[in-house]
Amino acid sequence: MRLVELSRSEHRELRIRADRVEACAASQHLIPIVVGEFRKAATQYPIVFAKHPETGRFAPYVLSGLGLEENLFWSGTELDVAYVPLNVRRQPFYVGTDHAPHNDDSTAAANVLCIDLDHPCLDSSGTRTIVNADGSDSAYLKEILAILGELATGKKATEQFIAAALSLDLLAPIMLDIVLDDGTPLHVQGLYGLDEETFRQLDAAEIARLWKAGYLDLLYAVMIGSGQIFKLIRLKNQRIALSRAWQGNAS
Amino acid sequence: MERPIRSICIVGGGTAGWLTAAIIAARHASGSGRGLQITLVESETIGIIGVGEGTWPTMRSTLKKVGISETDFFRECNASFKHGAKFARWVTGQASDFYYHPLMLPEGFPGFDLAPYWMTYSDVQRDAPSFSNAVCFQEAVCELGLAPKLITTPEYAGVANYAYHLDAGRFAGFIRDHCVKKLGIRHIVDDVTEVISSDTGDIDSVQTRKSGRLEGDLFIDASGFRSLLLGETMGVPFVDRSDVLFIDRALAMQVPYDDKQSDIVPYTVSTAQKHGWIWDIGLQSRRGVGYVYSSNHTTADAALEELRAYVGDRHRDVQPREIKIACGHRQAFWKGNCVAVGLAGGFLEPLEASALVLIELSADLISTMLPATRETMAIVASRYNRTTQYRWDRIIDFLKLHYILSQRTDSNFWIDNRAPASIPESLKEQMELWRYRAPGDQDFTSNCEMFPAASYQYVLFGMGFRTDTRHQPLDRDIGGARRAFAQNETLKARWTKTLPKNRHLIDKIKELGLQKI
Repeated sequence: MRLVELSRSEHRELRIRADRVEACAASQHLIPIVVGEFRKAATQYPIVFAKHPETGRFAPYVLSGLGLEENLFWSGTELDVAYVPLNVRRQPFYVGTDHAPHNDDSTAAANVLCIDLDHPCLDSSGTRTIVNADGSDSAYLKEILAILGELATGKKATEQFIAAALSLDLLAPIMLDIVLDDGTPLHVQGLYGLDEETFRQLDAAEIARLWKAGYLDLLYAVMIGSGQIFKLIRLKNQRIALSRAWQGNAS
Repeated sequence: MERPIRSICIVGGGTAGWLTAAIIAARHASGSGRGLQITLVESETIGIIGVGEGTWPTMRSTLKKVGISETDFFRECNASFKHGAKFARWVTGQASDFYYHPLMLPEGFPGFDLAPYWMTYSDVQRDAPSFSNAVCFQEAVCELGLAPKLITTPEYAGVANYAYHLDAGRFAGFIRDHCVKKLGIRHIVDDVTEVISSDTGDIDSVQTRKSGRLEGDLFIDASGFRSLLLGETMGVPFVDRSDVLFIDRALAMQVPYDDKQSDIVPYTVSTAQKHGWIWDIGLQSRRGVGYVYSSNHTTADAALEELRAYVGDRHRDVQPREIKIACGHRQAFWKGNCVAVGLAGGFLEPLEASALVLIELSADLISTMLPATRETMAIVASRYNRTTQYRWDRIIDFLKLHYILSQRTDSNFWIDNRAPASIPESLKEQMELWRYRAPGDQDFTSNCEMFPAASYQYVLFGMGFRTDTRHQPLDRDIGGARRAFAQNETLKARWTKTLPKNRHLIDKIKELGLQKI
């Protein structure tokens, strides 16, 4: 990864292949999301919580595979799923923080738009550019800026939601003990989900507080999304059947 | 008429008093207003001894049970992680002489005992790894100064089994605040001027200087060495055990780190000296170092010189505190309606950090056995005394084990320690059996054991004791042994790569906190 600040003049010639963007998630079994995505995400994936390895802090993710570096929605050319998280769609752009001292206020850190110059979707055969011929921002760049804006504002809201859920002990480790069609046992570790038992025991006042904060919808999205685990198991078993058929042909 | 037990009065507010209060209050819902009433009176004028700075892993479940967050504990108590103890110069006294007593059981233990396999292997293999290194991954982790868990590991859970080092003074204050704010314990700061007995011989109340008389159905003596209630009032005599364990003095120091980022050693170091041994405990902001020695074998001046040589010239200006230790315990721990915890019950040298764990165990026992009525208290007291006496005897056996296996001849302290007359019969018997097989759970059959058989293995084989394995059917499961040894190597490779440095993790915990789940 080689992140540099995006410059509309310096990078005006860059070509981006939008069809390669999703490939970056081909081997991601967890993709981070923000609370604004919960409703859409829940229609496709289980929403889970996992700890950041460096801070131990919880963040929400969609679960897209049942093993490390496995994305069961990856078809080989694209993510075959009706909702692709913002964190995939914003590739190869990132929001960086400019810590360089400024004249007026040296403590203020400004957000700057960055691009990963090593990203495989940067290719001269690409059709997307960041600026139009007249130098104005392209529709593509505007879309990217909107996505990054959503991620930036979603970050704080997501942290607040997690703090609220933790303070009510609403998260609990997910116990998944699955046996796949080929007999392989599968233990999922390090993932957390909604503790439905604790959730059901909340009193009316606590429920009202969650509702007012807009968290009730999010908790139900997590609850409903948890059923998508069956889709993942089905996809995994389909892969096993495919690979069996393949091995059958080979022998 | 039945006399129900509704209230407890604890006299003394060091670690013993407050920890006991917390453990009993958490179980008996003292905070709810409907449970047992607990009052703790502590003196304004008498300070705490506060040298108990090493815990057992039991402290994790104790803190969790009383409702304390591990993150807060690290923030408030200058605490650090402890994987176990490293014993230096105990066998030959040479600079290269050391062994570990880690807190994790050997790989496979007790279902599969690797000791005889290691014994056979090290008989023929000159460069065989040490016992603890062959069967447990903690020694490798310790030598690298790593913590026993990750920032993602939940509170009180561990990658490796661990205990703590803590600042006893801060710890007492920390537990006190929790007791008063969360557990509903009445806290009185006052001096006890008189203990008032009833006609039956029970303690009726304690008279304080300013706060009147404090009554209780049960009195807990946490008054320290003085043993105000159990010793002075109830007249229970002290049983001197210095015939077995000779140490009777401590010189304690607080040694600063060279700089704020200095590594925190994640284990207790115990370095044998000419007339005793030096403890070295790494806290966040300083080390606690102290020389415990036998005043029958050396003078205070000579001991101080040895301690100064250990801490080095740059700490010339650090002044030691001298503490007289009476090695032994009360003849009974519970008499009438009075039970003693902590130093009021007795004291042993801190070689295996037994002080705090005994407080936890005593408080647990009082808490679970607490009689419903005064009429049934005598039964409880006699059971309590039996269990507690057993525990003291086992600790004494285990401490003595460290001395009888030493080969040091540089002073009479070490030579006298191996005199057969100074060795308890119970230990002698075990040693006879262990000549032919390694310690196992069959040697420890009480349900209130202190040290697992594994601890005896670590000390025996760490100190070079040889068990004659010829009488054992060893070839039965060589494959199982190979797998267990290999598993240990796998864990060693994984965790020496993955675990963070001790100070690094502690700093992170203080900044970010650990998750409860």
